[in-house]
Parts: sequence; C-alpha cells; structure tokens
Amino acid sequence: MLIDREACTGCGLCLAYCPMEAIVRHRKDRAAGTRAWAEIDRDECVECGVCLRSGVCPESAIREEELAWPRILRRAFSDPLFVHQGTDVPGRGTEEMKTNDVTGRFREGFIGLGLEFGRPGLGTRLSEPEKAIKRLVGLGIELEPHNPLTQLIEDKSTGRLKPEVRGEKVLSAIVECIVPLERAQDVLAEVREIAREVDTVFSLDLIGKVGGGGEIPLLEEIEKAGLTRSANGKVNVGLGRPRFSAAGEGRGR
Amino acid sequence: MTHTLHRSGRPDSLRGDFVVFTMSAKQVNAQGSAEKMRRFIEIVEKHGPVNCGDMKTGNVLNIGRDEIFDNVRDTSIVHFVFTDLTQVTEVLQELKEADLGTSVVVSGLVDEIGRACREVGLEMHTLEFSGGIHGRIERLPAQPVLAVTTMCGHGMVARGLVRSLAAKVKRGKLSLSQAALELARPCQCGVFNPRRAEELIQEVIDSEA
Repeated sequence: MLIDREACTGCGLCLAYCPMEAIVRHRKDRAAGTRAWAEIDRDECVECGVCLRSGVCPESAIREEELAWPRILRRAFSDPLFVHQGTDVPGRGTEEMKTNDVTGRFREGFIGLGLEFGRPGLGTRLSEPEKAIKRLVGLGIELEPHNPLTQLIEDKSTGRLKPEVRGEKVLSAIVECIVPLERAQDVLAEVREIAREVDTVFSLDLIGKVGGGGEIPLLEEIEKAGLTRSANGKVNVGLGRPRFSAAGEGRGR
Repeated sequence: MTHTLHRSGRPDSLRGDFVVFTMSAKQVNAQGSAEKMRRFIEIVEKHGPVNCGDMKTGNVLNIGRDEIFDNVRDTSIVHFVFTDLTQVTEVLQELKEADLGTSVVVSGLVDEIGRACREVGLEMHTLEFSGGIHGRIERLPAQPVLAVTTMCGHGMVARGLVRSLAAKVKRGKLSLSQAALELARPCQCGVFNPRRAEELIQEVIDSEA
C-alpha cells in the first residue's frame, strides 16, 4: 500500500485503522517548505488493505500497488480476500477441522496442531514460523502439505524456507500438522521451546475428533502437557454430507 | 484459517458471543454447494443475528445482505453472529431438519454449544480449542482491547482504532453503538460481534479512566 503524497493532506484519519501501526504522520515543516502528510512504512506494511477498504481517506490518497514476488506474499498472508492458489481457501490456512465431518482430515488417534504466528495483532516475519517448521521437521513431523506456508519450504529435510521470503512481514502465518496421540507430548514440549525462541507471538490451535462414545482424548493431552485451554472454541456439529467414514482405511489423515 | 477461534475474554462476556458458519469441502462436496449456502442464509438470518458476512465478498455492514446472497459461490464461507444460545439452538434445529450437506461449525463456549447440540439431537464431531498465546506476550495490548481485536481472527481490527473510538465515545463524539459498528467494518468475514463490542468499549473507557 502507499499514500499519494501529493493528494494527502496529512489529516491523520487513516493512522488508527492500520493493524500494524505502520502509518506515520509528518508534520508541516515551514523551514523545509513541506506540508503535513502521512506515509506508510513499507517495511512494516503487510499489504492487508485495511487502510484502503476503510474508506476513511477524504482525498482518496491511499493506493494499492501491483506487487511482485516475494512482496506479494504479504498480501497473500494478510488480506483475507486473497485466495491462495492450491487451497482455494481465502485466508491463511486450510479447511482444517471446519469440514472434518466430510474430509476425515483429523481422525481418532490423532490431534491437530496449528501455530498461528503473529496472531493476535502483532504480525510476523516469515523467518519466525520457519523456526517452528525446522523444529517440527527435526522431530519427523509431517506438515500439512496444502498449507500456504508449507509450500514456501525450500529444503524439506530441514524445513528451511526459500531465502527471499524470510524477511517478508505478514499479519499471520500458520504452521499446521497432524500428530499421533502417542507423540503429542513430545510435540507439545517442543512448542514450549518454540515459544522461548520466537520474536513475536503465536496462538496455539488444538484440534481433536470426538470419539464414538463421546470421549475427547485431546483434553487429556492438553492436561498432561500442562496447557490451559480456552472455554470457548469451535465445534463441527457433524452436518456435512457425505459423512466421512474411516472404516477400511488405515491412514491417520 | 481458524478465524473464529482465539476470541479472548472472560466467560461471562463470551456467553453472548457465538458464530455459526457453513463451508463446503473443496475435494468432496463443493461442486454445486452455492445453492445450499443460499438456503443456509435464508434459514439462519431469520433468527436475529447481529452480524454476517461471506469470506469471499465481505460483511453485511459494508456491502449489504443482498450482495452477499447474490455473490455466494461454491467455495464461499458464510458466517452469522449471535448473542444468545437459544438462537443458536433454534438455528441448529432448523439446519438439522434442512439437511443441507455442507459442514456447519459453531464457535463459542464449547459446553454451551454441546448443550445446544444435545437439545436438538446432534453430536459434536470435531473440536478445536485455543491453547493460549505464546512467545512475546508482553507486546500484546491489555484486556479489554485484546478482547475487541480478537473478534476478527484475521487481525483486521487495529488496536489503535479501538483506543481511538473509545476516546471519541468518552468525549461524547460517538455513541457506543456507532463505535462498535465502525470497529465491525474492517472484519471482512462478518464474524465481529458489535453487540459485545459495545460492552468491551465501555470497559476500555473504564480501564483508562
């Protein structure tokens, strides 16, 4: 995003709308002969488009730029109206548990984990989730192949991202994986290490299928790991059709 | 993305905050699902939602109900926000009877959603919880600003906007309702709860008094 300096009057109305607080206001400088104007810090801007869509600028001075690789990734991971090629899902992740009743992505005996880097509201350079990817790959955990972040991995044996993307700043990026219950504690212990290592925040997603008898093995794993789970969450209520059946299938995903 | 997870706040505040949405699975039942989603909208909108939107086109405050309805596609994700479990229970009852076939997800207090499911004869299939925020949490804004911003999971609602609008309410320039609706606009999916936001803005004002 950019602000047309000629059109901008420096009113400052746009400043509050930026989730990254990346808009700076320059005051009128009589000595230099410049008038007040606002500027977007391009290094901090994540190309989410909130400033433009807010319609707050009385002079229509906020403009969207044509973005090239790798800067286009900022928009892909920050503007929810942008649809990722490959997932066909707007936003930054996958269908995850939302369609689990028909896809069977998360099955009994497994839990799903998501580490949403930059969320809530701080943003992240892609080098931060890379730290988690490397640790999980080091544990032998397979990452969700359809996740847009997974598609930026250059070296699958180490989890190293393509070097040109690492410095790009985005609103959030999700590291997604599915873990067998017997490995859940190893992975959750690694999550604690990741938390010590990163230079931003991440929100932790914990997904589990409800068992045939109504049991929720995920809750036991959360308790064992000493994590606190939220009282609120998301519930797939099983209305999708055709209903997935794991009968006769041995895979865990 | 888990755009309706991680809504921060006290349980008594979250008691009035539910999101109901539907989605098709790209590889399974997406083809031809737009008509089912339009039927979903017709069913759910009767029960008094306080916000709605489609992740593909935008929220009702910005573009209006008809544009959402007319632009529904097979891969749309249509959301409605409710403030009362009774409404959610009635919605689930009607969706069960309609048997549309697209997946339905409810976000909110899980025990309450479980109660609603039991009441209408549904069984919870898959659950997702927030395991908290980790890392450099000292950089986060204080509650209740965080409770407001996390109502848009995509992070479109800026903390600065919460503070700015709260200040305008305090100065008598805006009503709580006007401020809450302005905060709801950037949330494209329409999952932001403006009714709850009114209470939270008042908390922001009180906390900074």
